[in-house]
Amino acid sequence: MSVLDYFKPVSTWSAEKVKEFLHQKNPEDFNLVDVRQPKEYEQNHLPGAQLIPVGELPNRFAELDPNKPTIVY
Amino acid sequence: MRSRAAASILTGAGFQEVYSMGGGIRAWKGLVAEGIPEAGMTYFSPATRPEEMIALAWLLEDGSCKFYESIAKIIEDREGKGVFENLKRSEENHKTTLWKMYEELSGKAPAPEFPDTVISAEPRGDVMEGGMSVSEALTWSEGKELKDILELSISLESNSYDLYLKMEKKVEDNRSKQVFKVLSEEEKKHLEQLTSLFNKRL
Repeated sequence: MSVLDYFKPVSTWSAEKVKEFLHQKNPEDFNLVDVRQPKEYEQNHLPGAQLIPVGELPNRFAELDPNKPTIVY
Repeated sequence: MRSRAAASILTGAGFQEVYSMGGGIRAWKGLVAEGIPEAGMTYFSPATRPEEMIALAWLLEDGSCKFYESIAKIIEDREGKGVFENLKRSEENHKTTLWKMYEELSGKAPAPEFPDTVISAEPRGDVMEGGMSVSEALTWSEGKELKDILELSISLESNSYDLYLKMEKKVEDNRSKQVFKVLSEEEKKHLEQLTSLFNKRL
């Protein structure tokens, strides 16, 4: 990826919107990814979130299904 | 910012629909879970059989049951007593569900030493949802106010909700998936009951 990728528009959902979405869907219907560091995850995370620190994401995105809606925080 | 970067990476990698949560976890007003990603799951190798997950879940439910039962006895708040008695009964039901599921999957009744026979590694015995030991939690609860006990119970339930969501994802057998789904939904209800009482007693 190039530095220009950072300027691509990224859709943002409010926490409220995320909560509503998680409430309506089944866990197998989406990816919920915590991209912070393991220490932060350990302190608190959204129930069911999968930890992939942002630095590891380029090597690990294959762990996620690209066809499912994906929420990152 | 990290989540925006992450969203860009995923979009670039061909992910269809990616959303970054604005404000991150600080903006999240709701339940959170604690613990390392593998919390409760560390006991499993990648090829974990559903029986093992069920045994672990049973063990945790058993611990929670004992905890709620003891708490219901020691607290004086009438509504609180009712809530903890209900939770105890509900975790009892979960144990029964898991027991039956185990029988169904393995084709035989669990051995008298169940679940120790199925779980090869720690934890054993005295643990409950959230991975805390029952005796530890009870000692901690002595002389505490109801709201503190509720707070502890809320974090335990959040963790077990988190665990069941993960188990539901991980297990491949469809029947077990269904069971974990029901359990996670029920734990979510427990959370609602506990938080509503917690709000009242704050």
